Amino acid sequence: MQIFKNFYEKYINSKKVAPYIFVSPFILVFLVFYLYPIISTVIMSFQEIGFGEAKFIGLANYKKLFNVHYKNALLTSTNYTFWTILILVPLPIILAVFLNSDKTKFTNFFRSSIFMPALTSVIVAGMFFRYAFGEQASTLANSIIGIFGLEPITWLQNYIPAMIALVVLCVWRWLGVNIIYFLSGLQSIPEEIYEAADIDGANSWDKFKYITIPSLKPVIIYVITISVFGGYKMFAESYAYWQTATPNDIGMTIVSYIYQTGFNNFNMGFASAIGITLLLIVLVVNIIQLNIFGLFKKEEQ
Amino acid sequence: MKKSLLIFLVSTMLLMFTFSAAAETTTLTYWTFQELHQQFFEKQVELWNENNPDNQINLESTVYPYDQMHNKLLIALQSGVGAPDIADIEISKFANYLKGSNPQLVPVNDVVDPLMDKMITARFENYAKDGKYYGIPFHVGATVMYYNMEMMDAAGVDIDNIVTWDDYVEAGKKVKSALDKPMTTVEVTEHWTLYPMISQIGSDIFAEDGSVILDNDKNERVLTFINDMVHKSEIAVPAPGGFHHSEEYWAFMNDEGAASLMMPLWYMGRFVQYMPDLKGKMAIRPLPVWDKGGNRSAGMGGTGTVVTVQSDKKELAKNFLVEAKLSVQASHKLWTDLGFDPVRWEVWDDPVMSEPNQYTEYFQNEDIFGMLLDIKDEINPTMITEKYPQAIDLLKKNVSFKVIKEQSQTPAEALKDAADELRQ
Amino acid sequence: MSNSKVQITAIILVLSFFAFFALAPFFFMLISSFKPGDQIIKNGISASIDFDIMSLQNYKTLFTERSGIYLHWYKNSVLITTIQTAVAVFLSSWVGYGLAVYEFKGKNLIFVLVLVLMMVPIEILILPLYKLSITLKIIDSYAGVILPFIVPPVAVFFFRQFAVGLPTELIDAARIDGASEFAIFFKIMMPLMKPAYGAMIILQAMFSWNAFVWPLIVLRSNENFTLPIGLASLITPYGNSYDMLFSGAVISVVPIIILFMFKQNSFISGLTVGGVKG
Repeated sequence: MQIFKNFYEKYINSKKVAPYIFVSPFILVFLVFYLYPIISTVIMSFQEIGFGEAKFIGLANYKKLFNVHYKNALLTSTNYTFWTILILVPLPIILAVFLNSDKTKFTNFFRSSIFMPALTSVIVAGMFFRYAFGEQASTLANSIIGIFGLEPITWLQNYIPAMIALVVLCVWRWLGVNIIYFLSGLQSIPEEIYEAADIDGANSWDKFKYITIPSLKPVIIYVITISVFGGYKMFAESYAYWQTATPNDIGMTIVSYIYQTGFNNFNMGFASAIGITLLLIVLVVNIIQLNIFGLFKKEEQ
Repeated sequence: MKKSLLIFLVSTMLLMFTFSAAAETTTLTYWTFQELHQQFFEKQVELWNENNPDNQINLESTVYPYDQMHNKLLIALQSGVGAPDIADIEISKFANYLKGSNPQLVPVNDVVDPLMDKMITARFENYAKDGKYYGIPFHVGATVMYYNMEMMDAAGVDIDNIVTWDDYVEAGKKVKSALDKPMTTVEVTEHWTLYPMISQIGSDIFAEDGSVILDNDKNERVLTFINDMVHKSEIAVPAPGGFHHSEEYWAFMNDEGAASLMMPLWYMGRFVQYMPDLKGKMAIRPLPVWDKGGNRSAGMGGTGTVVTVQSDKKELAKNFLVEAKLSVQASHKLWTDLGFDPVRWEVWDDPVMSEPNQYTEYFQNEDIFGMLLDIKDEINPTMITEKYPQAIDLLKKNVSFKVIKEQSQTPAEALKDAADELRQ
Repeated sequence: MSNSKVQITAIILVLSFFAFFALAPFFFMLISSFKPGDQIIKNGISASIDFDIMSLQNYKTLFTERSGIYLHWYKNSVLITTIQTAVAVFLSSWVGYGLAVYEFKGKNLIFVLVLVLMMVPIEILILPLYKLSITLKIIDSYAGVILPFIVPPVAVFFFRQFAVGLPTELIDAARIDGASEFAIFFKIMMPLMKPAYGAMIILQAMFSWNAFVWPLIVLRSNENFTLPIGLASLITPYGNSYDMLFSGAVISVVPIIILFMFKQNSFISGLTVGGVKG
């Protein structure tokens, strides 16, 4: 017993070993469930896959990437990621500040309502939005633009309107989630800092700029990072609007393209190659982004 | 923490136990994406069990979402574990399962060959490779024209005088001027307008040797014709929602948005189910021909039911499938229950095929199968290659859309682009 | 009106707008769930209330069709969500905390792995992951659905971000008092991370409840399905079963909303009481 305790004190509990125990569940899951699939995907990207047969074809799959569909998909995913981040970072911060204020009434109601979309499956929500963005003059989206005197639009068969439809669905689903992230960040800002600022005569805007935003920095970094991932990984929203029949690639994201080639056309090798390039692109985008914010530096605060 | 872990372990074990519980009769697993097919099969199993008391079947069927069932089946067949005994595969996806030298499906020639003289053989070719049949079809899917007779009468059109597509356009102009409504709708995000017409005119996407002929003159003629119907004579409009299965479309048609529609015979079910207000107004006719003496129909769509190599009851599965889908009794049922035109044409003039049911009541036709018998030899097989799913994708996504909807390409350009991509 | 009253009214208006935007689709779903499927098609989408055609029939169908399989799906979804959320939130806070407060060899590598894993779309891993699950014999079981996702990298990253903001003085003080590294986590840091737990429980539950792609591949038998799979099988390219689709969707959301409202109280009190106040 004593030996065990000594062992524990000396090794397990030491600042050297403890960190590894903390990260071990992740490493374990990674080794068991992901290492093989990732390696296997890399290998498949150099192969032509049939039933029980795989043929190495060198870089052929990667050479096929230079086609118009891949370019379209990359562009759509990038546009989508850009717009969703542009909206889904500032907007939820502002709403979270509103919701966090003591003066605001019915916060429970607002918070719950705005969060509710996150709870629905995108499959069902997508049906509503597909109707709402229908092409007749009577649909929701066309009625709204009709108020401004605009002609009805065939939303889902034109590039920019289709992008708007995608971004709206995304904002609908994720606004509440991002608010929750920012709220949890706001709640951990000590009240005293604001009180001190009040004494110094700071106005609301100063407090927002000099206290709230800097304090939220880790959360903001987190939200931007997952939004880059989420944006480039987006598939469900596109699937909800078009399933896999994306006319002239409108609304086709990289993952839709992976899905279409891998499953609809059973070209797993090519699909893997697209997947690998997606991985690299997003990784580079995010490492740049994280470096700008200094996430890999030692001190954070 | 501990409690949930315990729950989790126990539930896992329970699940494993449920697996080992063996059935006394032979269990066949069946995957489909269509609940109607499942209901049909379950009735057929009951019948089988009545007729084969010492060879009972217990059918464990699962209905999956459409896309996902096909994916799951691909994955299971690719990895060699987890596929069902029998499964439904939709025609536009079928070629994926025949890819490579090693199809994971069981040829059914031994059970279907004896019946072939009574069948529309073209429909079996869709599921064949190297002379082996891998799938058993549900229906012929003869493409026909559905006319709204109230609107035809109002415009003074006699549909029996419509012989060629040019006649059809002329009739369309009458409808247009009398009612200010389009004669028909065309699909721009699906392939049920372009492809049947391509098949009808005697062309295809692939030639018999597998080479791509999508950009040949006949196909250009077809696409130009469709495009002219929309933009020149203006008797057609792109289908609301883009295709003939969209919610917008059903509402539009139900409200007499267009006067006629070309779709396969199985689309009758959609009329009955989704366009109740048109009941009693619709009549079915063969398609107008391209040139005098040409074909008046095309076989479109369909689902092949297959037996997978992973099944350890292949013989039983095959025998059951043939009985359940191709027997005389089954053929009757396919019509009365599902509204399908069974591939066993031998039964088409059986009395039961003209007895009143929900389909005959909906449509004005006296004798739907009499009409089909008339055109049964005018259905071309379609050539299916490994690239077929990709080809259908391109028809859906690019060809009609760019020409008719976006008007960014001419028919020749769009067909050439798609053909070049398939040739790569 | 005073200046601050105007401000508050404006805030309420803005919030109301977004609440309306968020709730409108639910309103539509709720109304549609009482209408016969063919009516929805016939008249196109509308949220008009027409008591003549509205009835509880769809809900009856939902619970009786195919001998109540819907309830089965429901039960599976509830169980899987509960187990997965509990395990995933605990483990990812454990890992995220480790990544945040310690300096150790390989830390950046592990962090990069977390990021990589976060962004791998499950769609490209399906085939090999399926083969792996066969080898591990977890096909068609809850374990198969849950195990690959018990340490979700998104949650690890979130907790890491959260823990980075926690005061390190508390840790040092506890060490001086002789607390072990793990005791520090359980006794001091876990309570401090309460807001993060609140947020992550809700978010993980949501991910798990809506998970679709992987459960569909790994589950085989009808009675093991989860709700999203069941609902999706009502939508086909050849027409949808609207009768059950909307009622199924409504019922699938309602309990979660109740849970959320109910849980929200503890969640909010967690946010305010447990906030880092020194």
